[in-house]
Amino acid sequence: MIQRPDPARRRPFRFRVLPYALAACAVSTGIAALLLRVFDLSNVVMLFLLTVVLVALRWGRAAGAIAALASVASFDFFFVPPVWSFHVSDTQYLFTFVLMLVVALVTGQLAARLREEAVTATAGERRASALAAVASDLAGAIRDEDIARVCVTRIGPLLGGTVTLLLPGDDERIGTRAGGDAAIAQWVLEQGRAAGRDTDTLPANDATYLPLVTPLRTRGVLVLHRADPTPLDTDRIALLDACRALVALALERVHFVEVAHDTMLRMEGEKLRNALLAAVSHDLRTPLTAIRGMAGTLPEDEVARAIAAQADRMQRQVGNLLDTARLQGEGVRLDRQWHALDEVLGAALSAVPMGRRQILIELAPTLPLVELDAGLFERVLANLLDNAAKYTPDDTTVWIRADRIGAMLHVWVEDDGPGFPEGINAGGLFADFTRGITESTVPGVGLGLALCRRIVEAHGGTIVASRRAPRGARFEIRLAAGDPPTIDLEDLA
Amino acid sequence: MTRPRILVIEDESDIRRFLRLALEREDMQVYESEDAFRGRIDAASRQPDLIVLDLGLPDDDGKAVIRDVRGWSSAPIIVLSARDSETEKVAALEAGADDYLVKPFGVPELVARVRAQLRRASLAGDKGNTGSRIRFGEIGVDLATHEVLRRGETVHLTPIEFRLLAALVRGQGKVLTHKQLLLDVWGPGYANRPHYVRVYMANLRQKLEDEPARPKHLMTELQVGYRLAGID
Repeated sequence: MIQRPDPARRRPFRFRVLPYALAACAVSTGIAALLLRVFDLSNVVMLFLLTVVLVALRWGRAAGAIAALASVASFDFFFVPPVWSFHVSDTQYLFTFVLMLVVALVTGQLAARLREEAVTATAGERRASALAAVASDLAGAIRDEDIARVCVTRIGPLLGGTVTLLLPGDDERIGTRAGGDAAIAQWVLEQGRAAGRDTDTLPANDATYLPLVTPLRTRGVLVLHRADPTPLDTDRIALLDACRALVALALERVHFVEVAHDTMLRMEGEKLRNALLAAVSHDLRTPLTAIRGMAGTLPEDEVARAIAAQADRMQRQVGNLLDTARLQGEGVRLDRQWHALDEVLGAALSAVPMGRRQILIELAPTLPLVELDAGLFERVLANLLDNAAKYTPDDTTVWIRADRIGAMLHVWVEDDGPGFPEGINAGGLFADFTRGITESTVPGVGLGLALCRRIVEAHGGTIVASRRAPRGARFEIRLAAGDPPTIDLEDLA
Repeated sequence: MTRPRILVIEDESDIRRFLRLALEREDMQVYESEDAFRGRIDAASRQPDLIVLDLGLPDDDGKAVIRDVRGWSSAPIIVLSARDSETEKVAALEAGADDYLVKPFGVPELVARVRAQLRRASLAGDKGNTGSRIRFGEIGVDLATHEVLRRGETVHLTPIEFRLLAALVRGQGKVLTHKQLLLDVWGPGYANRPHYVRVYMANLRQKLEDEPARPKHLMTELQVGYRLAGID
C-alpha cells in the first residue's frame, strides 16, 4: 500500500509565522504605551497575555511561544523601569516576568491545541461529507461506466489529482486503450497489491496503481495521477482507502446486479419457451386425442386399428419434436432423480407396441438406482424400441440388458433383425435428420436417434450404435453410475 | 344395477363426443360440461358416480374444481392431462383425484380405468363389507393377519414391504403419489425421499411379480406414483 508519512515526525516549523507573532507583539506594545497614560502597569500585562492567546489561536503553538517570549521582553524593555533597558531596578519584577512567561506559554499552548482540534474536526467533517457524497453517487451507479464517472468527477478532485478506473474485460485483461500503463495495471490486478508512485513496487512511475479488492476477487485498478510532488498526507491516504473500498463495493454490487439480470433474462426466456411449447403441445395433442379416441369408437376393424396406430405414431413424433425443441434451448435443466431403471423401462415398453416380437429383459439384480430425468430417459428407451419395431420383421427378438461395470452403468438394446444397411456408418445415425434407409417406406425423419443422443449427452453419458454378431443392431448407452443415496436399514424405520 | 352416471368436464367438443360414444357403448349415462363453471353445477345437480375432468379448462384451474367437488362428494375423479406435466398430475392427485389418463389415450384404456374406479367406489360404498382379504392375480393379501400368499405359498415380506403393499391395497387401484406413500409408510420425515419407495417397490416386485420389469399388478406411473392393478 501507499507509504504513510512517519507519524513521529512533527509538522515542520513554518518560519513565515515568525513576523506575524513579532508584529502582533509590536502592535500590543504600542497600544500598551497609550494605555499606560490611563492605567496601571499591572493591567498592561493582561494585554500582552491576550495577545499571546490570540497569536496562538491564529498561528499555532510555535507562534504562541515566540509571542510569549517577545511579550515578556517587550514588557521589560519598554515599560519596566528603567525603561529603554533590559535592566530591572525592582527585583520583584523578575517574579512578574516568570509568572507572565509561564502563564503566556501555558495559555498560548492551550489555545493552540484548541485551534488544532478545531482544524482536525473540520477536516474530518469535510472528509466525512466528501465520502458521503462519493458513497451516494456510487449508490446510484448501475453500470461500470457510472462508477468510472464518479471516480473521475468526484474522487479525483478530492485527492487533488486525476483518478481513472481500469476494469478487466471478459478475458480478465485490462485493455491498452484504457489509459495508464496497462502492464502495471494488469500486475496490480493479478497480485492484488499497489504499485507505482509512493509504493514499494515501481516507485519511479508517475502514477499510483491501487487494486480494488472485494471479498471474492480483485475487480479492477484505480489509477491516481497527481502533479503535486509531495506524498499524500495521512488524511488523504485514509480518504483514498475509504474511496477505494466504496468503489470496490460498488463494482461488486454492479457485477451481481448484472448476474441477477442475466439469470432473470435466461429464466424468462426459458419460461417463454416452455409456455410456447406447452401451447404447441396442447394444440397438436387435442386433435390427436380426438382422432385416437374416435378411432376407438369405430367398429373394431383393420381401418380403425390403423388410424389408432397412426395417431399413436404421430403422437410419438410430436413428442420427439417438442422434446428436441426443449433440449435445444440453452441451460436446459434436467429433472434428475434417483430412479429404478426397470420402472423407466416399463413405461417405455408400455408406450411402444412391439407387435409379436419377443422382448427379453435382463437387468442385473443388483442394479443400483440411477440419477435420470425419467421422462426424457423413457423417451430414449422408447425411441430405441420404436426403432427396433420399425426396422425389424415381426419374428425378431429384442434384448434389453443393463448392468453396472465399474463406475459406469451400461444399457444395451439389441435385436437380431437385419441390422444396419451396408455402407451406413453406425455412428452417423445419431446426427439430426439422418436415416439408415433413404427411401421413405419407413416412417420417421431420423429425429428419434438424434434426440436419444441429445438426451443421453445431457445426462453426461454416451450412446453408440454397432453391428451385432452374427446379425442385428446393437445400441449401447453408458451413464456414470454416480453415488446413489443410501437407504436407512429397515429395523431403524 | 342402475346405469352408472358419468360427468365429463372437457372444453374440446370432439373429445367430449368420443368420450360420450365410448362410455355410452358401455351402458353408462353420460353428462357433458364444457367448462369449470358448468362442471361445478352439474357435479352438484347430476350426482354423478364418476367425473372425468380435463385439467386444462379455459375458465378455471382443474385442481380447484377437484378440491371443490371433494368438499362434498367422494365420487371418483379421473383427470385428463398432457404427458409432459408430471407435477400437474401429482398436484391433481394430491388435491383428491383418483386416477389420470394421458392424452392421447385409447378407448380400451379409458373404459378399463373408468370401470376400475366405479368398482372401487362401489366397494368402498359397502361399508365394512370389503373384509381384510384381497386378491389380485395369483396373490392374496390378508390385511388383518399380515399374510401374503402367492400361488398358495406364503411370501415373506419385511414390515415396510408389507406396509407399502397394504397402502396400495387400501388404495384399491387409486394412483398414490410418491409423497402420499412416503407419508403413509415411512412418516412425515421421509416426504422428500422418493427413492425409498422405488427401492422397496423393486423388492416387492421381485417377490410378487413374474416379470418385475413388466409388472401386471404393481404398476408404475412414471414420475407420479404407483397403483395396484388387476384386483379381483
